[in-house]
Amino acid sequence: MKVGALSRDEAQLRMAASGLALQIPPITVRVRSPLRFLAEQMRDLYCDYELADAGEFADVDIRMLRVREIRKWVHPEVQFIVDGTTPFDPFPLAQALPMFEWGLNWVFAHRMHSYLLLHAAVVERDEQALVLPAWPGSGKSTLAASLSCRGWRYLSDEFGAIALDDAQVLPFARPAALKNESIDVMRAFAPEAFIGEVFPETRKGTVAHFRVPTQSILRGRAPARVAAIVFPDFNAGAPVSLVTLGKATAFLKLAGNAFNYEVVGERGFRAVSALVRRADSCVLRYGDLASAHAAIDDVMRKAHGQK
Amino acid sequence: MVTTKSAIGWRLPAGQRLLFEDFDDGIVMFDALVGATHLLNASAAETLAIVEDAPGLATAEIHRRLLERLGLPESALPLPALEELLWRLEDLNLVCTVAA
Repeated sequence: MKVGALSRDEAQLRMAASGLALQIPPITVRVRSPLRFLAEQMRDLYCDYELADAGEFADVDIRMLRVREIRKWVHPEVQFIVDGTTPFDPFPLAQALPMFEWGLNWVFAHRMHSYLLLHAAVVERDEQALVLPAWPGSGKSTLAASLSCRGWRYLSDEFGAIALDDAQVLPFARPAALKNESIDVMRAFAPEAFIGEVFPETRKGTVAHFRVPTQSILRGRAPARVAAIVFPDFNAGAPVSLVTLGKATAFLKLAGNAFNYEVVGERGFRAVSALVRRADSCVLRYGDLASAHAAIDDVMRKAHGQK
Repeated sequence: MVTTKSAIGWRLPAGQRLLFEDFDDGIVMFDALVGATHLLNASAAETLAIVEDAPGLATAEIHRRLLERLGLPESALPLPALEELLWRLEDLNLVCTVAA
């Protein structure tokens, strides 16, 4: 059953009781919360995801609870609890959804060491994956979301989960966190896309979440072969340029960008080596989405020719 | 007895294992003992390979083998330059000294 098959009331009731067990390949995440508005927001964003049975094993168990202190009645707050621990200070109650999304990212980055985790957005077209490694502010989420509105499969806006045995990339397809100006940019670029509630004044500025296109969710956990690695560098209004990287340089940039390169050790070294040998790397400087898409088309045409 | 600099011998630290990936713009090496990654030039990578292949070699002999491997005249890589390189590798705990 998909999340969207639940009525709003059913979603709220289930989330408050046994929880919503979301299948977000490659993991299952159980979310429990009595917060009715959060259940509605999550139903909107995760409507195409399959639900696991309530009794089924969940890799991650998250509770989003209102903080119960007298002074918190004036400025209500929400706490993120994962497997019984509270790794963060509370957020304002109204920011429960951004807190859930960031919290789940944190959990994935700290636990999923059976993969090399690149800090990257990933999209795929014609069975060729494009990895977009970048630190926050480089435009990778907006780029991935916009490409997914032009026929690309969306695998992630945050994690390039690389299998350590064959260096293929796996999906961890969750809503893209659009920030500040990129919210209006995406609205103008893809008016048909669903973008959820806008959350002003979060720790990362104004945030809204882009819903993963249905076709990308339907591809489930299918891995993809990495064909190109593009380090995006957004600078509003800047002319587009592509700078090819040598493979040793690309290796160091990619390893330095990973969340857990040191943790996975020698297997991570071998995986990064396989990636940079297999795929050419470049830095893409761009100032608008249309020119970035055109440059990426060129990169992928070249990668396709080398396949 | 005074040991001259070039009489010092070199080996890898116990338990050390080095993995190399040779690319067009440099050599990336993984230090499996501590999980660190380094970007090396050909001189440093070949020096480590020589020390790994023949533990305990003196600096002068490493120098001779290195020039031979790289096909360089001594003027291109004098002995003091190799001594400095070895001590820098020692700083990174990639090699250590033994009495030659």
